[in-house]
Amino acid sequence: MKKIGFFLFSLVFAANSFAQTTKEGHTNKNKFRQLKQELPTPNSERTASGAPGKKYTQQKVDYVMDITLDDDNTKITGAETITYHNNSTDDLSYLWVQLDQNVRAADSKTPDISSSSIPKKMNKAKFEKSFPEERFDGGFNIMSVTNKDGSKLSHTINQTMMRINLAKPLASGDIYKFKIKWWYNINNHRTQGGRSGYEHFPKDGNNNYVIAQFYPRMCVYDNVEGWQNDQFWGRSEFALEFGDFTVNITVPEDHMLGATGILKNEKEVLSRKERKRLEVARTTFDNPVIIRTQEEAEKIEKTRASKTKTWKFFAENVRDYAFATSRKFIWDAMAVDINGKTVMAYSLYSKEANPLYGDHSTRAVAQTLKTYSKYTFDYPYHKAISVDGQMGMEYPQICFNPGRPAADGTYSDRVKYTMIHVTIHEVGHNFFPMIVNSDERQWTWMDEGLNSYLEMLAELDYEENYPLKRGLPKNIVGYMRGDQSKIAPIMSKGDNVYEFGNNAYGKPATALWILRETIMGKELFDHAFRTYSQRWMFKHPSPADFFRTMEDASGIDLDWFWRGWFYTTDFNDIGIKGVKKFQTNTTGDTVEFVEDTSKGLGFVNKNENSKYHYEITYNKPGGLVMPIIVEFTYKDGTKERKTYPAQIWRYNDKEVTKVFSSLKEIESIMIDPNLETADVDTSNNSFPKEKTNKFETFKTKIKG
Amino acid sequence: MKLNKTFLLLFIISFLSFTPHKYYLSLTQINYKTESKSIQIIINVFMDDIETALNKDYAIDLQLTTKKELKNNDVFFKKYLKEKLHFKVDEIAKNFTYIGKEYDGDLVYFYLEIENINQLKTIEITNNILTKHFPKQQNLTKCKLGEKHKSILLTQTENSAIFK
Repeated sequence: MKKIGFFLFSLVFAANSFAQTTKEGHTNKNKFRQLKQELPTPNSERTASGAPGKKYTQQKVDYVMDITLDDDNTKITGAETITYHNNSTDDLSYLWVQLDQNVRAADSKTPDISSSSIPKKMNKAKFEKSFPEERFDGGFNIMSVTNKDGSKLSHTINQTMMRINLAKPLASGDIYKFKIKWWYNINNHRTQGGRSGYEHFPKDGNNNYVIAQFYPRMCVYDNVEGWQNDQFWGRSEFALEFGDFTVNITVPEDHMLGATGILKNEKEVLSRKERKRLEVARTTFDNPVIIRTQEEAEKIEKTRASKTKTWKFFAENVRDYAFATSRKFIWDAMAVDINGKTVMAYSLYSKEANPLYGDHSTRAVAQTLKTYSKYTFDYPYHKAISVDGQMGMEYPQICFNPGRPAADGTYSDRVKYTMIHVTIHEVGHNFFPMIVNSDERQWTWMDEGLNSYLEMLAELDYEENYPLKRGLPKNIVGYMRGDQSKIAPIMSKGDNVYEFGNNAYGKPATALWILRETIMGKELFDHAFRTYSQRWMFKHPSPADFFRTMEDASGIDLDWFWRGWFYTTDFNDIGIKGVKKFQTNTTGDTVEFVEDTSKGLGFVNKNENSKYHYEITYNKPGGLVMPIIVEFTYKDGTKERKTYPAQIWRYNDKEVTKVFSSLKEIESIMIDPNLETADVDTSNNSFPKEKTNKFETFKTKIKG
Repeated sequence: MKLNKTFLLLFIISFLSFTPHKYYLSLTQINYKTESKSIQIIINVFMDDIETALNKDYAIDLQLTTKKELKNNDVFFKKYLKEKLHFKVDEIAKNFTYIGKEYDGDLVYFYLEIENINQLKTIEITNNILTKHFPKQQNLTKCKLGEKHKSILLTQTENSAIFK
């Protein structure tokens, strides 16, 4: 036994002895070195364990708003009173407000930062949109910025942001109240694009409005960025403070409206019939109850009310506000049991989206709330709405989703699964970033990546064998082995990455999937992920807080994984370089290893008293360090699996040798047989090498 | 000035917080295999994009992976690929055989083969897949000749490459 021990011991060092001796020194390049230089130093606001510290503070902003929608002129007018609570320990000499709608102002710099060229030809409709006679002006028109007494308040507009110049600094712990009045032209999001806007239906002349980023919103001030100073260029989304919203929205009298917050004047805006149906829905947990039917909506959309009505809402502790309104909306509702608390799942959709929405929308909302609550925390709000908004965009308690059936009411599986996929995704955003409130402007992956991962679990809960796409390791391979000049690390700002979807959604979702399925195991991963979610609910986590919590709560050092998957564009490729076979001869107290040099894995003259000893050399053309998952198939058809942790690569990043001994003869060896590790080249994963490639396997199958 | 406005639209449309794939990319893998004396070609494209392109070009309704999927659609795929893909081996134009296609998630894989190639020095490819309807389409083309791997990103304007 001692000799075998020494034998193994010497193998570990064999690799080192090949290294050339150099005279130059070097810094630590080991892939398992800690992330100390990349992560900020822990402090009493953000601890080394990844939890908020004792001195963690967060600003609070309350809004009281009166909003009027002008359907005839597709215009919005608003007046708001902002109450800013300076909970930080700093005195603030100015405040910053976000004016996101200015991204579509006539003088927006957003179009100026993307390159353009003249195509050979384009169709006329597209040409007219791309080369408009006059540029659409959808920016904010700020009518007034005043103190609470009505006196003028000094302010400076800088593109999509506005600085409020305070007469004297706002002391730590103090409150500041001020007012803004504004209006803007609403964009047609179907023709002009955007996360908010209206869709026009030429057939009946109506508009479906899905309205967001419609009010000047306070920027985040924290101990990570200070004041947010990164403009809204259009892609990297939002960083927002929590607060309470009191909102009155005035729309045409015949509109059906859904919004963030609790509806305070149900009796004024809903009919008696609708309120009765809603009462039924509040105790119906198995099927959506229709509150406004398609028949009723079709009747309403044929006429135009000249009067208006005002919907009154109060939303407590939300980071943002959005609403959807139209006279075309059908409404259905279902109760969802979240650990004994009833939450309502709603859908608002036009007849054009039915029966797809009627069949799946509210059910998808309900499933998302259940699954996400299981893996994070109980959904704390009273409802979640999915709106037929024909985009994919999320806000607290309400989101806008795509998908409509064909004109004859039928829809393909592809349309169905895309619609469910996006609905789950957008409702899932209620958890990340609406509650676990990361800074989307800086780190798209922190909400999109985490959400794309959890969305997979909700999809599998929605339907057995749900066709998962993004997030499975095999599906990120095409991206990770792609042209390196067009790939950015996950730890990059969304505005600056090439393949946004793969960079900020697909790859981080895959990374978490691999951590759970392959590296940490479900139990340890789920506990750590839940810990992170609960520590940072209603707070502002940074990447370090996530990385640290996942390690701290699981007892697994993952610095190597974060470094490889999040800070580099390295990919995984592990192969089998070669195999040597040995058997033993025992004479007295000496055990001698005798190599069998015949081809393949078989033995020519096998001594029955000896086990089968294989010395396998694994190589790693890829830059990532990952576990080696090896499947040994014995001659009798049985299989055995062995997983070597990623740390096996710590002394030699290129090649390791490992002994595997067995009682039975091995016929073949394969690495990562279930495609768990996003190995970009599987042609080196088998020994003996597979003779037929993917092409030939397919050709044989076709030819029968 | 007007030019600056051009891409406002395309740019903003890609801002949504959900991305079905939102980028236009295909992968063509070319592999010369000595043992079979043939050039093996595997191409993958996004299913929705190829469906859109073929529906427009041939006025058909493919409905891929649905119960209403157009039968004999290989005829159209073959026709499309023959129009959009051209190969030269050692500077001589060569026809390829369309072996078939398979679906994997949101991708369609095509298998093509150029047979009876005893030896070769160069392969030239002209790749116009999807560039007509998707101006931002990028066709990543990879080639393996012996132990040499090379790859190039082809586009609407730069649509051909020679591998040596």
